[in-house]
Amino acid sequence: MNDRVENTMIQEARHFETDLAVIGSGLAGFAASTFALNRGIRTAQAGNTGAVAYTTGYLDLLGRVHNEDVCPVTDPWQGLRQLRQSQPLHPMARVSEDDLRAAFREFTSFISDCGIIYNAPGQFNATALTPAGTLKPTLCVPATMQAGVDALARKARCVIVDFKGLRGFSARQVVANLKDTWPELRAERVLFPEMETGEIYPEVMARALEVPAHRQALAERIRAVVGDAEVIGVPAVLGMHNPDLVMAEMMRLLGRPIFEIPTMPPSVPGIRLREMFEQVFPQKGLVLIPQQKVDKVVFNADDLQLSLSDNFGPITIRAKAVILATGRFLSGGLTAAIDGIREPLLGLPVTQTASREDWYHLQYMDKRGHEIHRTGIEVDDKFRPLGENGQPVNDRLFAAGLILAHQDWIRGRCGAGVALASAYKAVEAVQELLR
Amino acid sequence: MNQKENPMSEVTIPTINFKARAMELLPEGASFEACLTCGLCSSGCPASGLENMDPRKFIRMAMLGMDKELSTTPWVWLCTQCKRCQHVCPMNIDISQLVFLARGNWPEEKKPAGIVRSCQLARATDSTSAMGLPPQDFVFVVEDVLAEVQETQPAFKDMVAPMDRAGAYFFVNQNSREPMSEPDEMVPLWKIFHLVGADWTYSSKGWAAENFCMFSGDEAAWYEVVKKRVDAVNALGCKVWLNTECGHSYYTMWNGIQRFGLEANFQLENLVTCYARWIREGKLPVNANWNSTGIKFTVQDPCQIIRKAYGDSLAEDMRFVVRSLVGDENFIDMQPNRSANYCCGGGGGFLQAGMTEHRRAYGKRKFDQIQATGATYVLTPCHNCHSQMEDIGHHYGGNYQVVHFWTLICLSLGILGENERTYLGPDLASLGL
Ligand SMILES: Cc1cc2nc3c(=O)[nH]c(=O)nc-3n(C[C@H](O)[C@H](O)[C@H](O)COP(=O)(O)OP(=O)(O)OC[C@H]3O[C@@H](n4cnc5c(N)ncnc54)[C@H](O)[C@@H]3O)c2cc1C
Ligand code: SF4
Ligand code: SF4
Ligand code: SF4
Repeated sequence: MNDRVENTMIQEARHFETDLAVIGSGLAGFAASTFALNRGIRTAQAGNTGAVAYTTGYLDLLGRVHNEDVCPVTDPWQGLRQLRQSQPLHPMARVSEDDLRAAFREFTSFISDCGIIYNAPGQFNATALTPAGTLKPTLCVPATMQAGVDALARKARCVIVDFKGLRGFSARQVVANLKDTWPELRAERVLFPEMETGEIYPEVMARALEVPAHRQALAERIRAVVGDAEVIGVPAVLGMHNPDLVMAEMMRLLGRPIFEIPTMPPSVPGIRLREMFEQVFPQKGLVLIPQQKVDKVVFNADDLQLSLSDNFGPITIRAKAVILATGRFLSGGLTAAIDGIREPLLGLPVTQTASREDWYHLQYMDKRGHEIHRTGIEVDDKFRPLGENGQPVNDRLFAAGLILAHQDWIRGRCGAGVALASAYKAVEAVQELLR
Repeated sequence: MNQKENPMSEVTIPTINFKARAMELLPEGASFEACLTCGLCSSGCPASGLENMDPRKFIRMAMLGMDKELSTTPWVWLCTQCKRCQHVCPMNIDISQLVFLARGNWPEEKKPAGIVRSCQLARATDSTSAMGLPPQDFVFVVEDVLAEVQETQPAFKDMVAPMDRAGAYFFVNQNSREPMSEPDEMVPLWKIFHLVGADWTYSSKGWAAENFCMFSGDEAAWYEVVKKRVDAVNALGCKVWLNTECGHSYYTMWNGIQRFGLEANFQLENLVTCYARWIREGKLPVNANWNSTGIKFTVQDPCQIIRKAYGDSLAEDMRFVVRSLVGDENFIDMQPNRSANYCCGGGGGFLQAGMTEHRRAYGKRKFDQIQATGATYVLTPCHNCHSQMEDIGHHYGGNYQVVHFWTLICLSLGILGENERTYLGPDLASLGL
């Protein structure tokens, strides 16, 4: 594009002044913005779809302390005490139990208030169903999945219903995996109304169920196979915007509890969260630049400036503090190259193994996990990234989420735990800085 | 799928090397090699499954070098280029660019005849009207309708509809559908201009809004039409090209000016922005008192001006206007909305392309979303969205009306004439007459 065009077709470069800029729209970024909004901190946020769009909807605190552990953690708070001892560098080890409880409580109550009800964090992990019909420990589940946790605990008479054309979820597989311990479980398949042929996506079904007529039609088909089941399990498709209402309506139509089981990505619970945040944040005064990556961050003496652009043109954000919540490889927070792993936006040093050969053990399923899954940036107790010299890179820079080193969230089943804990502490430190 | 295609035609569709072309086209970091095959794009694309294709599959086939299949799949005419896939993609991959490429690659005689014809007509006269309405006819219709309003509606006897007035602040474009088939629909907007005292003009040249050349994938033609329009605005020396309630007309102009590096000595603005500004400034004293029975309204965010251009700021303006017009409690947002909105299925030339069954299948998603709001009126500042939502409403048995903003603004102000009510339902047909 030539200069003349820039000058003549008047393109306003948009500029925002704010106190806090959050880079990243995964769980860590959304949590940071939530905590900031609750504390009255003026906030702007930018980022593409993060891993949040792929999640099951379960918010895990801690499911396993050591990668080699066979039994999942039942009391995650107890597990955290062990973690503090054995992995003092783990991001969650830097956060007190009180703060972690507060972070989960604040986050789940925020999303519940915004229309996706979650249970508050309790003392023990729930045992929840995965898409494959295996079990996993998690701390907070959406209300639409709670009846599944309860039914499993009681081994209730239950039917799992799936839909022809839906990939990534099979009632028969779920039942096959659980039958030994849950004899009163059976599988049925129905045709989803008006989507009888071809591949169908959970997202499409969920949106369809926002319409009362489709709920009725589906309820009729489920009723035909429900038999004497006390409770009904379906893949996570019970509405997109009003899941609790959709569930309640289905329950009313079917005369018994119904619950969701997560599906493989792209899954509805994650899309729900994302759409909710994208809608609610601007209403609460946050400046949200959805689906765009920050190109550059420049630190000045008294503030910092972010540069990015969206479809309409360039945007700059001036802020007093910034939280880097750009995730790991999947989201581009870290990039892997021949000569090692880099943090591409700010060039922060990345803690990694000495050579590429050490990234993985020979067996993918190796119980010890892989070193590459502990890669990330170093922070201090205020979650300020550290430079080569071990000192904070800048007093205005904080980091949260999966970009942090010394955690293997997949094996530890602590994705949300890492995100919420670090976001909570980072925002606390930002608040202190702004004071 | 192309009914008007010449059966004698021996022409074949050349094969594109998608991978190579994508490297040139897609911005750094958004090449489809980065695709995680996560399926978020397909999951939220209303064209998924039609012609056995979906955006993820398109990307994967491109990666696998299945160029022949991709070059010939009719699915490229079913993707409305709404860019929702890009909006939800973690890697920001823009499939619509490849679709545009594929469309342009189809020989003229194989492309959907309706789109080709609309583009040809736009190039046939100085009007740039896709319905082929020549300048003198446009001038005549405007004068004729204006004279009648001045005569029959005494409150507007001094109203004007200036033509080719050099130095006017606003250059206002006009969708051809009104002068061509429903001229009275032009009047509410004139009344609004009259009321706020806008300094505006039509132009006999380059006045038309719609531009199907972009949808035909014909860059040269797209350029030609935009150039004519830019020249027309420059010639009159207007400060602002004010886009009427039409989505793609804005996008083709805005994107075209940048794409082709045209010298445009003016700003582009959207009517919705002006409505919002005039309401805020008190120049358009609308209120919701007329809606005493609590009729419920929702809005459709046209992708072409929201997701693909302005982003959510315009979506917010639009909601401000609607809330002011119908009352806060009577506005129900469609889900999803703003930049995450679904295309209705009227975009990309779909309405002109003659593939009715596919278009309605695509539109079923939108129909459901409208039904979920429970609203009996849908407002949208886009002619394509308007026509499509009306059509799917009739087809699937919806009980809603689709209305333009100008209709409701004039209704609220008590100045909506008898002949200006085509789109109102029986509940509002005679309100305030
Ligand atoms: C398939 C899958 C399933 C999961 N299931 C669960 C589960 O069941 N329970 C659970 O607790 N956790 C789960 N997680 C993990 C959970 O999603 C993460 O813990 C959570 O998303 C926190 O990650 P994050 O925000 O740090 O990073 P991400 O979610 O990866 O987000 C990073 C964000 O940064 C953005 N970004 C990167 N670079 C830039 C830039 N330059 N400018 C702006 N933005 C940028 C990205 O676009 C993205 O929005 C799952 C994750 C995956 C992938
Ligand atoms: S959303 Fe993006 S990354 Fe995912 S399958 Fe589609 S193009 Fe690939
Ligand atoms: S541009 Fe729209 S219609 Fe086309 S593939 Fe993407 S989401 Fe589907
Ligand atoms: S018809 Fe409307 S919804 Fe569809 S692409 Fe055009 S502006 Fe978007």
